[in-house]
Amino acid sequence: MKTLLIGASALALSATAALAEYPERAIEVTIPAPAGGGTDTSARKLATLLEEELGTSIAILNVAGGGGSVGVTQFMMDKPTGYSLLATWNSPITTVPQVQNVAYDVDSFTPIASTSETAYTMCVSPDFPAETGEAFLAELAAKPGKYTYGNDGIGGTMQMAAERIFQARGIEAVAIPFGGAGETLQNFLGGHVDIYGGSISPVLPYTESGEAKCLIVTSAAPVEALPQAAGLEELDLGAEETLLWRMVLAPAGLDQAIADRLAAALETTVNDPSYVEFLATKGEVPNVVTGEALAERLRNEYDALAKVAANLGLGQ
Amino acid sequence: MERRQDIVLGVVFAALGLFAAVRAAAYAGASGTYPMVLGLALSGFGILVAGKAVLRGKPEPRPLTLHAGRVAITVAIGAVYLALVPILGFYTASALVVLALPLALGFRQPVFLALTTAVFIAIVWVVFSIVLEKPLPAEFWQTF
Amino acid sequence: MDIVTQVLSGVFAVGPVAAMIGASILGVFIGALPGLNPVMAIALLLPLTYSMEPLVALGMVAGIYNGSMYGGAIPAILLRIPGTPAAIATTFDGYPMAQRGEASRALKIACWSSALGGTASAIALMTIGPILARATLAFGPAEYFWIAMFGMASIGVLVGTDAIKGLMAATLGLLLGTVGLDQLSGTPRFTFDQVWLLSGLDLIVILVGLYALPPVIALAEAADLKGLSAAQLKLEPAKVPWSEVRSFVPTWIRSSLIGIGVGILPGAGGNIAAFLSYNAAKSASDDPDSFGKGNPAGVAAAECGNNADNAASMIPALTLGIPGNVIAALVLGALLIHGLQPGPQLFHQNPGLVGGFMVQMLLTSLLILAVGGAAATKVFAQVQRLPGVLLVPTILVLMAVGVYVINGRVVDLWIMFAAGLAGYVFEKVNVPLAPIVLGLILGPMAEQNVRRALLISRGDVTELVTRPISAVIALATLGLIVYPVASAIMRRRRAA
Repeated sequence: MKTLLIGASALALSATAALAEYPERAIEVTIPAPAGGGTDTSARKLATLLEEELGTSIAILNVAGGGGSVGVTQFMMDKPTGYSLLATWNSPITTVPQVQNVAYDVDSFTPIASTSETAYTMCVSPDFPAETGEAFLAELAAKPGKYTYGNDGIGGTMQMAAERIFQARGIEAVAIPFGGAGETLQNFLGGHVDIYGGSISPVLPYTESGEAKCLIVTSAAPVEALPQAAGLEELDLGAEETLLWRMVLAPAGLDQAIADRLAAALETTVNDPSYVEFLATKGEVPNVVTGEALAERLRNEYDALAKVAANLGLGQ
Repeated sequence: MERRQDIVLGVVFAALGLFAAVRAAAYAGASGTYPMVLGLALSGFGILVAGKAVLRGKPEPRPLTLHAGRVAITVAIGAVYLALVPILGFYTASALVVLALPLALGFRQPVFLALTTAVFIAIVWVVFSIVLEKPLPAEFWQTF
Repeated sequence: MDIVTQVLSGVFAVGPVAAMIGASILGVFIGALPGLNPVMAIALLLPLTYSMEPLVALGMVAGIYNGSMYGGAIPAILLRIPGTPAAIATTFDGYPMAQRGEASRALKIACWSSALGGTASAIALMTIGPILARATLAFGPAEYFWIAMFGMASIGVLVGTDAIKGLMAATLGLLLGTVGLDQLSGTPRFTFDQVWLLSGLDLIVILVGLYALPPVIALAEAADLKGLSAAQLKLEPAKVPWSEVRSFVPTWIRSSLIGIGVGILPGAGGNIAAFLSYNAAKSASDDPDSFGKGNPAGVAAAECGNNADNAASMIPALTLGIPGNVIAALVLGALLIHGLQPGPQLFHQNPGLVGGFMVQMLLTSLLILAVGGAAATKVFAQVQRLPGVLLVPTILVLMAVGVYVINGRVVDLWIMFAAGLAGYVFEKVNVPLAPIVLGLILGPMAEQNVRRALLISRGDVTELVTRPISAVIALATLGLIVYPVASAIMRRRRAA
């Protein structure tokens, strides 16, 4: 009995010891997007805070390409040691697998925590004949195939978000894929495409200067920074909400104690006032969902987007 | 206009272009047309190069190497080096190649060689692992 | 007046000055080592400065950016290995000069040309930037397609002695450029079910192999066991007489304008600027045949062109919030982290910071003269005192580490090696390498934009040439193809 007790406590001790020692060396974070983009800056800013919180250094590896699938696939080869993490946005996990043949799915990861979220927006030039979200959709529905909208790439989350709305209203618009929101913005401001489709932060200064009129956001609720834009709830499209959100994942099979430790650290750093303020300048809000709830969120989004992709003829 | 070399070169490019064109034919719409046209063009240029060589080529070949033995040694040791990087780790494999390649090419000053290797590897280590904190393939004694 | 004092007091504080000097020296080294490039260095070092004064971070970006563009010329001239993609055109005449024993002179010309190009570009950024940035918005997909075609037409000067092989090489480059996920349809092309190929072939990986391995093998073949003595180095400061400096003036003006023009367009880059500048210098010369055989004007044109791209590439980023290249994207990311909102209001929001960065781009261009001219050149030329057989494995290791850290992939090492072996054979059988690289750079730009333009015009091809700017660039492209042929015929007639 006594030996059993000692044995058990020794076991418990060694388990806590493994956790107590974590992290004992540098953590490597893979970002499946190029340096300088939205996911990259969010993750790097978070990493500087996380370094202090965890007391270790964090090395960042950008592996861009394939809409994120290249970096995620490469990351899947890492072992679940807690020293390699993935900082990604939702598209490579829930959208890209709809159109590409990838070697991973939602269950290939240990979910740690989501960090922040924002909506996509659609904007038009000031002389566009609509002033509200409802009028905007009516104009598009009345003239099928007339308008072009720029997006972040074929089969990307932005295109999915737009098409969910368009399919619900029977709208036909021509998708013009660009290399990213910057390129879309440039072509929108130059009048080469009629509608800007992309994240909020690049276009924000142009709504203030009156060169862009943002009429719709792809979240259910409206966004404070874009007062003219309607949220989907008020257009009776609340079920078609598609967000751009960011998260931290580990390879499947990570020790639960370490996963909890990381989730707690992320919860603290994401809600750090300096990070919240940083997110606000990009039109993002903190949003921490951890563990199984995060896996559930990924599965639900995956299923909803699978339907859109099938309707678009993009599915495989 | 060295005949044999150019015939081989032209045939290789023609085959490569044809292979690309056949693969591209399977891709849908405009995403296939462009590489298919490029593949056919590459074949065309390859055939032109080969054809020109057949008609007007001179029989004496250009030397492909100035010293075939040393090229073979360098390429072989270089390939072994790249193969060893993921097995032995970056710094171990690199130290070995910096020692081995000059020896194989006839360098016979062991002290100079060892010193250069040590200084060079140290510089690379400071720049990449200390300053830039870049993860490199781990050394074999670190992974077990 | 108030803004001027605010800007200058910010820039000339201890921290930013130290950052500029340190980063310029670092930049020259980064540019000079094949495989290391400014994008990587800035991406790695910038986050370290997030907690510091913004002008320290920006001074560092400016120093690394300008320094490395010059640094790329050093191995290009000494070893025929371009340190960065933008230094390929520098090898054309720089290396032949070094072989003639004029390495020191070539480096001096490269140094001055880089500094001048960078300075002109920074002045453009400070003065006409905002106006020009607005104008670039008129460039849509159709215009970008023609810019790519204009660049392709400059292949004419790069094909070398055998035109068919040159065109064959260009086609190979275009074909390699199609590897990966097609951006417009999502179709994976030539990926053979390999996920890492979805993002296409990495330009730096191919370039390092193609351009660095053949000179390394050549060093091994020579099997030099002793190294050059100090006397053989011919490093005593070369004299560049005033008459020669004066003869470069038109080249410098032309290349600066080309570099600024290419830089300000989001999506084009320093490597294209260098090729176009070189081409322009050759076309304008009385003796175009001397290019590629060690004409100093070729070095001046290429180096001035690639540095003139730098500050100009920041114009769309700072005035419109649209990053034209990865470095500009990194700068915007850093500004965001410091709580600034990139966009048209940026300058009014924080003139001290934005103005300060512009001044830093100017100062670091001038710093090239100090840190590049004397010190760095001497240090790097010492490399040639090492026995050649020691250089062979050390360059090989630097290539490997540089290529590996880009994506953290072992397979990239083999791609690099394969490209290098192909490059070695191609050179021996007279297949030029430059068209391959140019095809790889410009092919995707041309293809994606022409398809985007056709999506927008709903398949109407005439819109490619009826838009005014498209028409002008299309005609210029035609001229670029016709002019050398016509002038060659004219010269032959005159000679006859």
